[in-house]
Amino acid sequence: MNPEALHTGLIETLSLTLVITSVAAVEMRRLKFSIVAYLCQALLIVGLLLSFAAVNHALYWWAATALVTKAILTPWVLFRAIRGVDDRELKPVIGFGPSAVIAALLMLGFYHLTHARTTLLAPTAMGQLEVFRTNLAVASTVFALGLYAVLTRRDAIKTVIGLCLLENGVHLSLVSLAPGLPETALFGVATEVVVTVFLLVYVIGGVRQEFGSTDTFRLHELRW
Amino acid sequence: MAGEVVTETSIVPAVVFLLPMLAGAIVFSATRLGRTFQQGLCIVTAALVTGMSAWMANRVVHGVVLTTWSGELRVDALSALMVVIICGIGLLTSVYSIRYLGERMAEETAARRIRIFYGLLMWFLGTMLWGCVTNNVIMLYVAIEATTLTSGLLVAFYWDRRALEAGYKYLMLLTIGITFALFGCVLLYAGAAATNKLTGASALLISEIRNVAPFIPRGTAAITIAFLVIGFGTKAGIAPFHPWLPDAHAEAPTPISVLLSGVMIKMALYALARTVSIFYPAWPQVTIFLVALGAFTMLLGIILALTQDDLKRLLAYSSVSQMGYVLVGIGLGTYLGCYGGLYHLLNHAIFKSLLFMCVGAVMYATGFRRISELGGLRRQMPITSACFFVGALAIAGFPPLNGFWSKLTVYLALARAGLWWAAVIAVVVSILTMVVMVRAAYRVFWGERGSSNTPTSVVREVPARMWAPMVFLAGMCALLGIYPQMPYPLLNRAAAVLATLGR
Repeated sequence: MNPEALHTGLIETLSLTLVITSVAAVEMRRLKFSIVAYLCQALLIVGLLLSFAAVNHALYWWAATALVTKAILTPWVLFRAIRGVDDRELKPVIGFGPSAVIAALLMLGFYHLTHARTTLLAPTAMGQLEVFRTNLAVASTVFALGLYAVLTRRDAIKTVIGLCLLENGVHLSLVSLAPGLPETALFGVATEVVVTVFLLVYVIGGVRQEFGSTDTFRLHELRW
Repeated sequence: MAGEVVTETSIVPAVVFLLPMLAGAIVFSATRLGRTFQQGLCIVTAALVTGMSAWMANRVVHGVVLTTWSGELRVDALSALMVVIICGIGLLTSVYSIRYLGERMAEETAARRIRIFYGLLMWFLGTMLWGCVTNNVIMLYVAIEATTLTSGLLVAFYWDRRALEAGYKYLMLLTIGITFALFGCVLLYAGAAATNKLTGASALLISEIRNVAPFIPRGTAAITIAFLVIGFGTKAGIAPFHPWLPDAHAEAPTPISVLLSGVMIKMALYALARTVSIFYPAWPQVTIFLVALGAFTMLLGIILALTQDDLKRLLAYSSVSQMGYVLVGIGLGTYLGCYGGLYHLLNHAIFKSLLFMCVGAVMYATGFRRISELGGLRRQMPITSACFFVGALAIAGFPPLNGFWSKLTVYLALARAGLWWAAVIAVVVSILTMVVMVRAAYRVFWGERGSSNTPTSVVREVPARMWAPMVFLAGMCALLGIYPQMPYPLLNRAAAVLATLGR
């Protein structure tokens, strides 16, 4: 493995754009644009995996898996879910201004954490390299933004998008943490995300029929 | 303690989870064949895997560890115990579901949805078995997430407002929770690989990671443990990650409630114990954390159960509480603690399945499930009421039933470890459990009927295919209570797998 072969500049640019797409996916009020932002993110992940693959050829397989599951299947399922309905998102709990501040703080925090204490998260020698540290910082930010979206958004479809971001964060971190992961394991992990999204969208379709909306705040039949 | 172990290659661990998967696929694809065929196939499959699990348990008791696919699948005593529980409860549930299902549904919707039910039921069993036989730490995550996916639609099976809400919460919360477990599993693998003592894919095998756990850096280990506890703890219903549990357990069809409460949450706790226990020898302070978490879980669960009027939610919260006992036992890390924890895991699978089946029988016969709407059923439903009482006394730890012995073992283990505060909480919770369960049993079967206006003459005892599994489980409660040494050979070896802190 030869770290010099990595296009560090390209990877850093892609990583930064990735964070921007996450914020866009969380903040866009029209669900359609939100899904487009997610699709862009998926393509960026494929690009990132391809540029990392210069030093680790197994990542070509990862890139192919990510292309099929994240950039094709998941957006397709999500677009089907909003077809024919009003795709304006319900008002979130926390608005745009505070969200942007939170996103920036998260990014700074994780960047600091991964650069000051890499051994904590990535005990490998490779994980100490600058690009992999940046990758971990970005992965953690995307993960945290996904969690933030799930917790603060009222619209059920938006929470599913948040869940997808969460999973994207984990997948990105695998590049630094577990580069030797066999394809079968990765394939299993990636497939399950698509099935989860499909099932959730299916159940949300039922919720829309029964409750007349996808507002998670109206799901309060069950208390205590 | 267990003696020498011999490793033996066998295809049975693979067959035991692939067979239900295949049966599920057949049920899904055989659209022409009728309901009898689907139910028959499921029961035959469940019976076959139960036989295989008994064979594996027998081999394991004789000091053999079964492996296949170059170590990817591995059945030691702990796995064998889980496989036996899953198969046994799965078989009884399949029998129970025949009459229970389709009772409240129109004929045309029933035909299609019952096929989906049995197909998913088989896949649900298959994925749970897969999780218990796999030795690959990433596949462990994949299998556990697969159990969520296969059971998600089963939870929302009735497709009404309550079921859909429960299904949405179930899929959402468990997927988020289990993503933390994926992080934990990946860190475990990365930590093991970074020790440079394992080559290639062997760093994925839990049995290999065990040997290098002390060399994993301290910070990495701490984060790994935290992620694993959050991830698998969510699925196991450990407080404060339990909010999905009462909704899902209460709104799912009763046979699925039995499997969720009786088996699935235990399988997640198995995953937790399997992965976290490898850190006990190097970091004994983890055990105190787990015992505290378990004590908190048992206390919170029973307090919430006290306030319930809905019988199924009451049982669900009681499951949270009882999982606390199992966690306290396994979390102690001593032989006695692990023995008590696993024994309680086995016992809880028996009596909680029994109690859920009894509540299902009450719902089947009366159409109600709130305590305030029920009362005086002992005359119309003598078998159900007797079974419920046995289950209630067993879960409350009343001698000479099985719950008494496992709880006693947990108390003794706590006392021996010097954790008196936890022992006191465990005893207090046991008394509260007695109050909750016996009060519910008394009101439903003895007390005066509440606001219900159903004529009492309509209510009849449930059909034999429903009460036979209940009577069998009630018999097991009594049998294991009178002969508590019966499961000793298997439990002894299973506890030895987890007990890394000596006796």
